[in-house]
Amino acid sequence: MLSRTADNLYWLARYVERAEYLARILEATLRLTAVPLDAAGESNEWESAVATAGCANAFYAAYDEANEENVTDFLAFSPANPSSIRSCFEVARTNARAVRTALTMEMWDAINGTWLELKRYGNGPTSREEFSRFLRWVQESSLRFDGSAYRTMLRNDAYWFTRLGIYLERADNTARILDVKYHLLLPAQEHVGGPLDYFQWAAILRSVSALTSYHWVYRESLKPWLIADLLILKDEMPRSLASCYENIVRYLDDIGSAYGRQGPSQRLARGIRTRLQNSRMDGIFQSGLHEFIQEFIADNNRISQTVTQQYLT
Amino acid sequence: MRIQIAHETIYRYERPASSIIQTLRLSPRNHEGQYVVSWRIQVSADCPLIGQEDAFGNLTHTFSIDSPVDELAVRVEGEVDTEDTQGVIRNAVERFPPSLFLRETPLTQLDDGIAQFAADSMSALGHDQLTRMHALLTALNQEIAFDTDPTHTATTAGEAFALRRGVCQDMTHIFIAAARSLGVPARYVSGYFHRADGVVEQEAGHAWAEAFIPDLGWVGFDATNGICATEAHLRVAVGLDYLSAAPVRGTRLGGGAEEMSIRVRVEQAQRQMQN
Repeated sequence: MLSRTADNLYWLARYVERAEYLARILEATLRLTAVPLDAAGESNEWESAVATAGCANAFYAAYDEANEENVTDFLAFSPANPSSIRSCFEVARTNARAVRTALTMEMWDAINGTWLELKRYGNGPTSREEFSRFLRWVQESSLRFDGSAYRTMLRNDAYWFTRLGIYLERADNTARILDVKYHLLLPAQEHVGGPLDYFQWAAILRSVSALTSYHWVYRESLKPWLIADLLILKDEMPRSLASCYENIVRYLDDIGSAYGRQGPSQRLARGIRTRLQNSRMDGIFQSGLHEFIQEFIADNNRISQTVTQQYLT
Repeated sequence: MRIQIAHETIYRYERPASSIIQTLRLSPRNHEGQYVVSWRIQVSADCPLIGQEDAFGNLTHTFSIDSPVDELAVRVEGEVDTEDTQGVIRNAVERFPPSLFLRETPLTQLDDGIAQFAADSMSALGHDQLTRMHALLTALNQEIAFDTDPTHTATTAGEAFALRRGVCQDMTHIFIAAARSLGVPARYVSGYFHRADGVVEQEAGHAWAEAFIPDLGWVGFDATNGICATEAHLRVAVGLDYLSAAPVRGTRLGGGAEEMSIRVRVEQAQRQMQN
């Protein structure tokens, strides 16, 4: 396969995943802003959203304040932001068009259909209700694309590069959520845990669709260290770092087998997976949750670069 | 290299045995230089296999059989990718500080013979622990002859050393006792060894030692082969001695005489990937 083709497929998948993630963040933020807040020492949820989306620099260059109007515009509709939902779908569709022959009909219909419908939303919603509907639509579009890939693609390198993109993006996204909210997940709390923390924890879980799953796995009320455990170490949880890396290793191995050689990507991925497999939550808290997540984000970025060098250029 | 393992242990009982319970330490873990591609354990009886971790961090599987059986087979199959790390173990699960492995156990109890031998091997050597352990390794490898006859699983280090004969288990116990007598933490490793001479069918798994070298960490020392651990070594379980790292430990009720046969195939996987 041409590295250009692999590159297009990989980024197509990453951008669609990124769009879904942004929609989840915005939905979670909307929910949290509806909760009555105690003003003392509270962080601005919209600021949090910008941080979780990883575009704080670009945002504060363009806007003064993080409020609902600015953030929803920047993260969802702004063509000036290369990682807004609109931009993600535009770039995804451009990539898809370049490799149209590598996609099945269903996949092309899914991404092209999404792009066409995007025009309907114009420059932004007129009401909060419409915006919520928009966010639901974004997530459904991502699901449709992902589902059509899963259901119709031949299991060959095109498929594996697509999955690789999804899981690398997903691991990065979960790590960002943990990074921004890590102070809420530490076992020793500075504020006494109360109803506000509960909403925060529930928001974290909702943003990864894990609120019900949590109770299934732990059969307990929400505990921050268990939430961290679920999102970092649990293989069963599909958006956890462990699960993402299980898949990353698997698809890198498949690519390696198909091409007849392994390289630095496979070795790096296995190293990270081994570290996650051999870790326990109490050990992570002891050496520092924030440091652990920062190191993970750095490692994840390194793998993305290595994959790009090894296969996509 | 990609090592392929097929390990079968079959127990045949004179009369049907009941209430068999076994704990298996047959599943390798990942660490730097070792990655498990696929691994599967099959027990011939219809019973759940419960996976846990023991105190040392070894993966254990326990099963129990209530109804009488006259034959029990445990089969392990798997593929592991290994890389050479010059014998140094990194990123493995470590549940205890190294000093725990200075503890003496009945199987590795120090006696005068071993203590003297250890001290003698260190003469004219400096303080560098790595050099000292290499010297001990070479000295032991030359001193003890490989012989499957005179010893058994309950032979102590001292008994084997007095005979100057033994199998890998005995040589490892002697190395461990000697290292500990010199103040070096040492532990028992059970696993598999891929032979360079092309012999694929082996009678048993392999055993070697790990010693803790300051500034390096745990380093594998294979007294039987006189080398440090290489990519040919597949590390499965660690412990203070054979008992805490044994591949299979169990007990049963009834059954009369037991006949055990073991077959191990250790070979390089057919389809190799360039690295």
